[in-house]
Amino acid sequence: MVRRSSDRGKSLDPAEWRLAVDVGGTFTDICAINERTSELIASKIPSSIDDPLASVILGIAASGIALKDVRLVTHSTTITTNALVTRDFPPAAMITTQGFRDVIEIRDGTQQDVWDAYKEVAPPYIKRRNRFEVDERIDYSGRVLTPLDVSQTETVAQEIVRRGVKTVAVCLLNSYANPIHELQVREVLLSLNATLSVTLSSETLPEVNEYERFSTTVANSLLGSLVTEYIGRLDAYLREHGYQGDLLLMHSGGGSMTADLAQRYPLRLAASSIAGGAMAARHIAQQCGFTDAISLDMGGTSTDITLIQNGQVRVSKQWWVEYGHPISFPGVELSAVGAGGGTIAWIDGTGGIRSGPHSAGSTPGPVSYGRGGVEPTNTDANLLLGRLGAELADGAISLDVDAAQESMRVSIGEPLSLSVPEAALAVLEIADSAVSGAVRLLKQSRRSLSPSAPMIVFGGAGPMHGAAVARELDIPLVIIPPNPGITSALGCLLVDVRHDFTAMYHGIASDLEPSSLESRFLDLETDARARLRKEGISEADMVLERSVDLRYRGQWRSMNLPFGRGKGALKSAVQLFQAEYQAQFSYLDGEAPVEIYQLGLTAIGRLPTIEFPHHPLRGGKPSPRGSRNVTFNVEEGPQQTDVYDRSRLSSGMTVSGPCIIEQADATTVIPPEYEARVDPWLNLHLSLKDV
Amino acid sequence: MSPRARSAARRTSPGEGLFDPVTFEILRNSFGTAVELMAQQFRSTCHSFVIYSKDFSCSLANAAGDTIVQGDEDVAVHIGTHHLVCQHILQEFAGDIYEGDVFITNDPYAGGTHFNDVRVLRPIFANNILIAWAMANGHWSDVGGLVPGSFDVNAREHFGEGLRISSAKVWSQGRFRADVARLIVGNTRAPQDNLSDLNAQAEATRVCEREILRLVGRYSREVVIQAFDEMIRNVRTQLQSRILELPDGTWTATDYLDSDPSQGEGLIPIQVTMTIAGDRLSYDLTGSAPAVSSFMNATFGSTLSGILAGTKHFVPEIPVNAGFYQSIDVNYGPTGTVVNATWPTAVSGFVSGAFEKVLNAIFELWSHVLPERATACSFNLEYLLVGGRDIREPSHPIFMWYDWMVGGWGARFGADGANAASPLFGAGFASQPIEGQERLNPVVTTHYQIVTDSGGPGEFRGGCGVEKGGRLSDSAATVMSYCCDRARSIPWGIRGGLGSTAQGLWLNPGTPGAQYLGASFSNVALVSGDVFSRPSSGGGGMGDPTRRDTQAVLEDVRDGYVSLHRAAKDYGVVITQHGHELDPESLQVDEAATVELRASIRSNRVQWLTSDPEVVARRFRSGEIDALDCVRTYGVILNWGTGELHPRTTEQTRQFVHDRAASWWQNGDDDQHG
Repeated sequence: MVRRSSDRGKSLDPAEWRLAVDVGGTFTDICAINERTSELIASKIPSSIDDPLASVILGIAASGIALKDVRLVTHSTTITTNALVTRDFPPAAMITTQGFRDVIEIRDGTQQDVWDAYKEVAPPYIKRRNRFEVDERIDYSGRVLTPLDVSQTETVAQEIVRRGVKTVAVCLLNSYANPIHELQVREVLLSLNATLSVTLSSETLPEVNEYERFSTTVANSLLGSLVTEYIGRLDAYLREHGYQGDLLLMHSGGGSMTADLAQRYPLRLAASSIAGGAMAARHIAQQCGFTDAISLDMGGTSTDITLIQNGQVRVSKQWWVEYGHPISFPGVELSAVGAGGGTIAWIDGTGGIRSGPHSAGSTPGPVSYGRGGVEPTNTDANLLLGRLGAELADGAISLDVDAAQESMRVSIGEPLSLSVPEAALAVLEIADSAVSGAVRLLKQSRRSLSPSAPMIVFGGAGPMHGAAVARELDIPLVIIPPNPGITSALGCLLVDVRHDFTAMYHGIASDLEPSSLESRFLDLETDARARLRKEGISEADMVLERSVDLRYRGQWRSMNLPFGRGKGALKSAVQLFQAEYQAQFSYLDGEAPVEIYQLGLTAIGRLPTIEFPHHPLRGGKPSPRGSRNVTFNVEEGPQQTDVYDRSRLSSGMTVSGPCIIEQADATTVIPPEYEARVDPWLNLHLSLKDV
Repeated sequence: MSPRARSAARRTSPGEGLFDPVTFEILRNSFGTAVELMAQQFRSTCHSFVIYSKDFSCSLANAAGDTIVQGDEDVAVHIGTHHLVCQHILQEFAGDIYEGDVFITNDPYAGGTHFNDVRVLRPIFANNILIAWAMANGHWSDVGGLVPGSFDVNAREHFGEGLRISSAKVWSQGRFRADVARLIVGNTRAPQDNLSDLNAQAEATRVCEREILRLVGRYSREVVIQAFDEMIRNVRTQLQSRILELPDGTWTATDYLDSDPSQGEGLIPIQVTMTIAGDRLSYDLTGSAPAVSSFMNATFGSTLSGILAGTKHFVPEIPVNAGFYQSIDVNYGPTGTVVNATWPTAVSGFVSGAFEKVLNAIFELWSHVLPERATACSFNLEYLLVGGRDIREPSHPIFMWYDWMVGGWGARFGADGANAASPLFGAGFASQPIEGQERLNPVVTTHYQIVTDSGGPGEFRGGCGVEKGGRLSDSAATVMSYCCDRARSIPWGIRGGLGSTAQGLWLNPGTPGAQYLGASFSNVALVSGDVFSRPSSGGGGMGDPTRRDTQAVLEDVRDGYVSLHRAAKDYGVVITQHGHELDPESLQVDEAATVELRASIRSNRVQWLTSDPEVVARRFRSGEIDALDCVRTYGVILNWGTGELHPRTTEQTRQFVHDRAASWWQNGDDDQHG
């Protein structure tokens, strides 16, 4: 089902397309734009279960674009996330400091479920028997306390090779302060067998705190062969079909990187789809003139919420795919709540109604999909209230209303003495309240978010719930992009190349020689430029942003602040730190020394800006393509409600609720008290009617 | 009237009894969110790194001070104390509670836990009527007293432990009472940090208040109050119907503190009796020892917390609110005991002391009624404080290496216990990164690793403990204190499982000057170059160890959780090497030898447990046997430094090893699992 937002540009010049392919667990989304004509193509196909590469190939075919006409391919994939969950790893070993082989097993000791001793934290990725120790020690300042025992290292290396292990993670204590021993260990390993894949913690994540660094390094090492093999096959396919550009991969920090780097940092691919959605939301917010926004992506099993502040998607360095295995590469800061189209409603032991966290997912799916689901879901509730039509995807799918009705009656209605529509309304009300609770929590953690920040709503189920959730939260505006179902792919299309560099740097700010700081930043910048250059970014397109992590001496919590250039940079960063600290923590200790903890550098390689088709405002009132009975509340019951075709809504048009707007990949619900306006980029703007 | 309020009103007519389930579910979630918002705000703005490591709790109570929602990730040790504290404030300030007031207390004798746990409470008013309370409770890093961190191991009365804030109003109708705040923080070692934590707590309760008032605006005051009642009723129904399903009966379990310093050797019993009768559950602490002359006693609030937290582990899906504690009758027994200490008995070390013993005893009691969730004894909270001057820096700043470890949890029904997990008192309480510690303190960690053989043997093995060692580098005027227990009261197994390992600290181990300092001491002077090392216990085992699957033992040996040597001694599994010595896969079980060894162990083991303890002690001193042999094979407890026998302790230990292990053993040859 290919959709074209523009009919211009029939004749294509070679290599003027940019193409993004987002392979998810259920669907593969494709988004492409013609750089010359601004023609936009979006499509969606079911993912191949067995072979992610087949999904990419089918996706490209579905776009109808020949690879020889493509200038740039960007790609996001769930292969690494899946491998982490299924533990599809090659045999691997870890080498660490004598006395510390259990760091990744001891962790910080915490349990995810603090009340249930019968719920396990997932075991370490590498068994204890394959974690080797070598005698060596470096202190906090990088000084060698005990030199590396090379002959012991050789014995360990021989044993590793003897076991047939090809993947080795080298994780030594304080290696962030001095990598010398890790480098020596690698030398020993490679001199024994040059085909070993060796990952050093000091190169993977040169940051203090062993648990996070070791965990990140181990996971990164385990994904190397998988990603290398996958990229090799993908690259070969692309070349074979005439593609001559670079292959860029979306990473979890909201940027892209070349295939080469992806093979070195495969773990950075985890959560790349989520990052894609958030980057698209940022773009849409920007289009509409907002620097702050809330991004809400409601899919089949969950809702992912991210925040955009000052034009940036918020990122975090504390996240995980499995609890107990932290990933400290930058990842889009995310709150996920178990509320999606397939989320199941049920009655608990006390007769109370509950929603989730179980989901019917895509298999068996909602009852109305007729694929074996028996418990009522949000999708079924939407269908029973007429919000969702019985025909989906332009008639490709017919939903079974009777089955949904029966399930809602038996599972929810009868136990609570509610009619079917009452039960369906109750199901949705509870789901919406769960989503709004999660948004509330995330907003609270960033109190400086602008109160006028709109909510950018997408995902297959998002546009049905967006207005209700926003209403609950007093969010003044909901924006729904033209293709809500393929937003991750859109984000993937839009990103720049982006790398985050860090360097540990410890010192009290007032005692520092600014020139030493400057020289460390210059080192980072040299590395950053070299990396971008290698990725084919011209000097003019490089943007390097410095930052510094500061904290009060003795504190565990630090704050990342932008760091300017010139002599006053340090002083203003410290002042900014004190001001921010006071604002956030109501605390100011003028006496306490401020300590520099880490230096940061974000290196952005700007890709040519994409011009999206801009449609001059024409206004007018569209005519509905039909109508059906839709229930918005118990009091008024079903009301005859207009149904519009989204493709007929042109720039500047306004529709007034209650109404339904349908398109192939989503259905938008405009409640009675709302109206929707179409902007020049064909986004829908939902807001309360003026009373 | 908003549409929601309208439909809520329609669905809820007075006298109808049942609250509209949809509104109830939404409000239930919203109250949960209100408490989560408070917790998030508190943790993101606190100053104490102990709070930041998650030693805190937040709750919402109704106007009567009864808990409606307690935070999901709160430390277990605060569960069930919030209503006591709230009701204390209601009583102390009757007639003097106004909108905009904020109260503070840390009084263990009025339902609190220990002095470090400072509680900040805000009454919530809607249209001039008190409808609720928000409370944020967190562990301040210092509240004065004789020693930094306010843990005086030797305290017998609270006067040296820290500042007792019986109760005070720090904000009066919105106005900050700087005098009261100064009086409080001025009696601590970190006035500025504590003031900041006070602000963080007050602000967190304000976030909760704002959320509750939003719900009042949305649904009406009456609906919110009704929902509070329904929350309590709902939990009561859940818990009572679970209890009703269980067999009626009475069970008793006893766990022990190591000793009372003023009484010589001999374990100090904490006895818990549980009775189930229909849908009522009751606990009786009668039979527990008089308060000890150290800081390990608990007041009734901490004891109730242990009871509720222990019970909750067996019904994790049921939230703890007033419906939970109102379904449980507790008789604390006479006052002045180790579980019902009164003013001015010292109580700061109650977690390492009485609290975790109550918790483990309750685990054992419930293991009788819900064997499918049975849990053997787990390791004990321990924390080491090394403080002095850091001479790595020219200004010689004060440093404080305040360190706690993870340890082994008890074995479970059908599964081994968790290795290296946070203490029972707070499973979400995080230990600290070594590299971070090394930057802040002149202590180089020598090792931090899982201890081989530390898990209690059983058909299901107890989780492994860990050991951490430190070498003091460039420092001056440094002293060390250790707050721990279970050097003698070793974590026990159940249903035939055996005990794990002792806790206790060694100074300069492996050198001629090596000194065993035990599990509880204070102000030991250290000099640069000194090395100290201490293990945490593993968890107790479950089921007869000679019935453990031999392949499971083999896998444990391959990973070094169990040594080759103790695979034979503890499990009767003979494992031999058939190849390269570094290759774990070359280890194999000798099945025939195993059958023989297991039979021999079974026919001798009861007798070993009655052999002359003096002889055992002598063999230990001569190096012929080790501490694990003493504990597991002979049930003999010694001073692990000198090898001196603790006769009374041994007698008590042998009694419970008989009850928990030996009496469960069947010595037939039907080795189904072998």
